[in-house]
Amino acid sequence: MNIVVCIKQVPDTETQIKIAGDGKTIATDDIKWVMNPYDEFGVEEALRIQKAKGGEVIVVGAGPKRVTESLRTALAMGADKAVLIEDDGLYGADPLAVAKILAAAVKPLSPDIVFLGMRAVDDDAGLVGPALAEFLDMPNLSVVTKVEVGEGSVTVQRPVEGQTLVLEASLPAVISAQKGLNEPRYASLPGIMKAKKKPLEVKTLADLGLDKAGKAEIAALTPPPARAAGKTISGETAQELAANLAKALREEAKVI
Amino acid sequence: MANKYLSERNLKFLLYEVGQVEELCGLPFFADHDRESFDMMLGTALRISGQLLYPAFRDLDQNPPELVEGQVRVRPVVRQLLEQAGEGGWLSATFPYDHGGMQLPVMVNTACLYAFASANFSASAFLGLTTGAAHLILSFGTPELRETYVPNMLSGRWQGTMALTEPGAGSSLSDVAVSAVPTGQGHYLISGQKIFISAGDHDAVENVVHLMLARIKGAPAGVKGISLFVVPKLRPEDGKLVPNDLNTAGLFHKLGYRGCPIVQLAMGEAGDCHGWLVGEPHKGLAYMFQMMNEARISVGKQATAVASGAYYASLQYAQERPQGRPIAAKDPTQPQVPIIEHADVKRMLLFQRAVVDGSLALLLQCAKYADLAGHGEGEAKDNASLLLDLLTPVAKTFPSEMGILSTSAGLQILGGYGYTDEFPSEQYFRDVRIHPIHEGTTGIQGLDLLGRKVGMQGGRAMKLLAGELARDISAAGQVAELAEYGQRLQAALERLLEVTQAKQELAAAGEVAVFLCDATLYLELFGLVAVAWQWLRQALVAAQALASGVGQSDEAFYMGKLATMRYFFHYELPKAQGLADRLGESDGLTARLDARLFSD
Ligand SMILES: Cc1cc2nc3c(=O)[nH]c(=O)nc-3n(C[C@H](O)[C@H](O)[C@H](O)COP(=O)(O)OP(=O)(O)OC[C@H]3O[C@@H](n4cnc5c(N)ncnc54)[C@H](O)[C@@H]3O)c2cc1C
Repeated sequence: MNIVVCIKQVPDTETQIKIAGDGKTIATDDIKWVMNPYDEFGVEEALRIQKAKGGEVIVVGAGPKRVTESLRTALAMGADKAVLIEDDGLYGADPLAVAKILAAAVKPLSPDIVFLGMRAVDDDAGLVGPALAEFLDMPNLSVVTKVEVGEGSVTVQRPVEGQTLVLEASLPAVISAQKGLNEPRYASLPGIMKAKKKPLEVKTLADLGLDKAGKAEIAALTPPPARAAGKTISGETAQELAANLAKALREEAKVI
Repeated sequence: MANKYLSERNLKFLLYEVGQVEELCGLPFFADHDRESFDMMLGTALRISGQLLYPAFRDLDQNPPELVEGQVRVRPVVRQLLEQAGEGGWLSATFPYDHGGMQLPVMVNTACLYAFASANFSASAFLGLTTGAAHLILSFGTPELRETYVPNMLSGRWQGTMALTEPGAGSSLSDVAVSAVPTGQGHYLISGQKIFISAGDHDAVENVVHLMLARIKGAPAGVKGISLFVVPKLRPEDGKLVPNDLNTAGLFHKLGYRGCPIVQLAMGEAGDCHGWLVGEPHKGLAYMFQMMNEARISVGKQATAVASGAYYASLQYAQERPQGRPIAAKDPTQPQVPIIEHADVKRMLLFQRAVVDGSLALLLQCAKYADLAGHGEGEAKDNASLLLDLLTPVAKTFPSEMGILSTSAGLQILGGYGYTDEFPSEQYFRDVRIHPIHEGTTGIQGLDLLGRKVGMQGGRAMKLLAGELARDISAAGQVAELAEYGQRLQAALERLLEVTQAKQELAAAGEVAVFLCDATLYLELFGLVAVAWQWLRQALVAAQALASGVGQSDEAFYMGKLATMRYFFHYELPKAQGLADRLGESDGLTARLDARLFSD
C-alpha cells in the first residue's frame, strides 16, 4: 500500500501575524513555520496504515525551500521519502493552481491513498483536497475522523451535526483529515537522525511543465477589528441588574 | 504570547550565537549532528513541553501524589511523559550509540530538558533521575546488571532513583548506615531506611530501581566504607518480577515541587531485600559522584527553568495591569498606565531576566565543558574537566538561591494577585525553594567550592577560569560600549582572587574553621563573578550583531540583552564588593561564636 501525504507549511498558530506593506500578504520576517496541524493527522494515519499493511509513505510539499523543514519533520515521524516542488511564489498561490501542481507530482507515485489536512490553518480555504481528487480522478473523502482500509476500498467516518456519516469508496482515494482522526506522534530522536539520510527529491514547476498562475487572487488582507472595551452592568438587586442588562442589550448592543 | 514560560529565541541565542554549539560537531563523537538536527530536536522538545507538560503544570501541584495501600499514585501525565521519553529516546539522548543513545551533546540535551522543566518542573524531574541511574549502571555495573536493568529504564518503563539520604545521614553522607550483608550467591541482603527519595515509588512505572548507598558489613567507618548497590522494588526472578522486601514507609507533603513524590523507604523488614553491588566494594561514593555532579548541574537548570516560567508570567502581567500614573505627570483625569511603565517594576523584571538568562548561559557553558570533558581531545579535554568541576557548585547554587529571589520578585510584580492561586507566580515561588536543599545544600556546596575545588591541583582550575574570563574581558576592551564592563569584571575577578588567596593562607596556617566559616559567602561572590562573565559574553555577541545590522525584532532582542547586562553590572555585581570586604576579614565571628549564646 503506497500512501502519499501532502503537506503545507503554515505559520505557527501562536505567531503574531502582521500584514505586509503590500496589504495583500503577511509579513514573513518573524514567523515560525510549522507543518499544518491537520496535515499532521494525515501523516500519523498514513504511518499507522503502513504499520498494518506495509508499503511506503511519501510526503509531498510545495513552496519555498523552507518547506523542507516540515517535510523533514514528517520524515522524522517515520515517512520514507519526500518530494518538494520548490518555488518561492507558491506560498499564498491560488489553491486550484496548487492542487494542479500537487496532482502532477503525486500521479507518478501511483498512491493507493492520498492524505491531506481538511484545510490549512492560514487561509482556511479547504479547496486543495477536493480539487486534488478531481485532478487525480479519485474519490474525495473529506473531513474524516476515522479510516478503515479494506481490500481495494476504504471506509471512513465524517462527523456532521452530532451524527456520523459512514462513507465507502474504492481505492485509490483522496482523504482529508479532521481533528480527532488520531493523536499525531512526536518525532523521536533516532527518527530525527534517520530523517537526515532519507531521500528528499526537489522538483521545479518547469520539471512538471506547469506554472502557478491561478484564477483567484487575494485582493486585500485586513486585521480583525480591535476588541472594544467591555462594559460592566451595575444594579442593586438581581432584578435591577437584569433590567439594566436587557436595556443595554436592546439599546446599546441592539441585539434583542 | 499567551502562557509563555520560556523564550525559544533566547535559548537559540545562548546555544548557537553565544555557546557556539556547532563547534562540537567537529569532534568525532558528535560528527553525525548538525544545526538542522539540533533545531528539530529542540523543536520537538518545545512541542512536548507546550502540548503535554505545560497543560499539567497546575494539575500536578493541586493533586499531589497519594500513598494508597502501600503504593504511591501519581497523575496520568507522568506515565505519558515517561512513555514519550522512552519511545522518543530522550532518556538516553547523550549516551553512545552502543548504549542505545544518540550521542547528543549535553549542551543540546540541556536546552531540551530545560524546556521540559520550564513547562513543568515536577514532571520533568522523573526523567533525569532515570537517566542518571542508568548511566551509573552503564559506567560501573556488570554486563548482567546492564542487561537486566538499563533497557527497561531507558524505555521509560522502570524508574531510576538516587537513594543516598537517611534519617541520620543527610549532608553527612559518611554516616550512611544502611547495611549490606553478602550472601555468597551474587547478591547482598540490604536493611535499613532511606528518606526523601525522589520518585522513590509511583504507579506510572512497572518497577523502581534504586541506586543506593550502603555499608557492607564490617566495612570501615566513613566514606571509605560506602558501597553502591542496585536495589529494585521488584526483583527479576525466573523471568518474573517479585517483591523485593522494599516498602514505602511514608510519603512527604511538601511546600512545592508537589508533582513528584518523595518517599521514605524501608528495606529488609522481612530479611529478604536483595541488592546487587555496582563496581567494587567501598567505592560507592566516588561512583555516586558521577550521578551527583550531573544532578547538581541539573538542579541549576531546573531552578533556572522555574525562574523562567515566573519571569514570563510577571512580564505578561506587568504589560497588562493598569495601575498608577507616571511619577512626573500624575494627572488623575488621564488613564492609568500599565505597571511595566514604573521604574521599580522594570527593576524587578530586569532582575528576573538577569537571573534567568545569566544562569542559563552559565549552565550551557558548563554543559559545553561536559561535552569537551567527555569527548574532547588532549589539553582541551583536561581543562574542560577541571573547569566543570570548579563551576559545578556555582552552577547549582547561583540559580537555586537567586531563583528564590527572582521568583519572589515575580510574585511581587503581581501585588496581591501574586499571593493568590489565581496566578501561577505563587507556585513558581514554592516550586523553586527545593533547589538550595537537595543534591547538597548551599552550605555544602560552599564547602565543596572553597574547601576542595579552588585548591585542587594547586589551584589550576582557578587559573584556567581566570584565563577564560581574561579572554572575554580583552574582547570587551575592543568594543567601545563594553570596555567599561570588561574593566568592572576585571576588578571583581581580582577581588575574588585576592580573597581566595587570603582564605588559602588561613588554611595553610591551620585555621581550618575560620578558613571555611564563610564558605557560603565565598560561593555567593563566586556566583556573581561567574554570571557577570556570562553577561559580558552575551553582550559581546549582542553588540556585534547590532553593529552588523539586524531586523526590527532582533534589534529589540539584542538591545534588551545589552540593557539586562548593564542592569547586572550596575545593580548585582556591586554586591561583590560587600562580600569581598567581609571575606577579607578573618575574625571567624561565626566559627568562634559560642553556641550557648543562643540562649535567647
Ligand atoms: C524534595 C526533596 C527531594 C529529595 N530527593 C532526594 C533524593 O532523590 N535522594 C536522596 O538521597 N536525597 C534526597 N533528598 C534529601 C536531600 O538531599 C537532603 O535533605 C539534603 O542533602 C540535606 O540533608 P538533611 O535534610 O538531612 O539536612 P541536614 O544535613 O541535617 O542539614 C541541615 C542544615 O545544616 C547544614 N549543615 C549540615 N551539615 C553541615 C556542615 N558540615 N557544614 C555546614 N552546614 C551544614 C545544612 O546546610 C542545612 O542547612 C531530597 C530532599 C527533599 C526535600
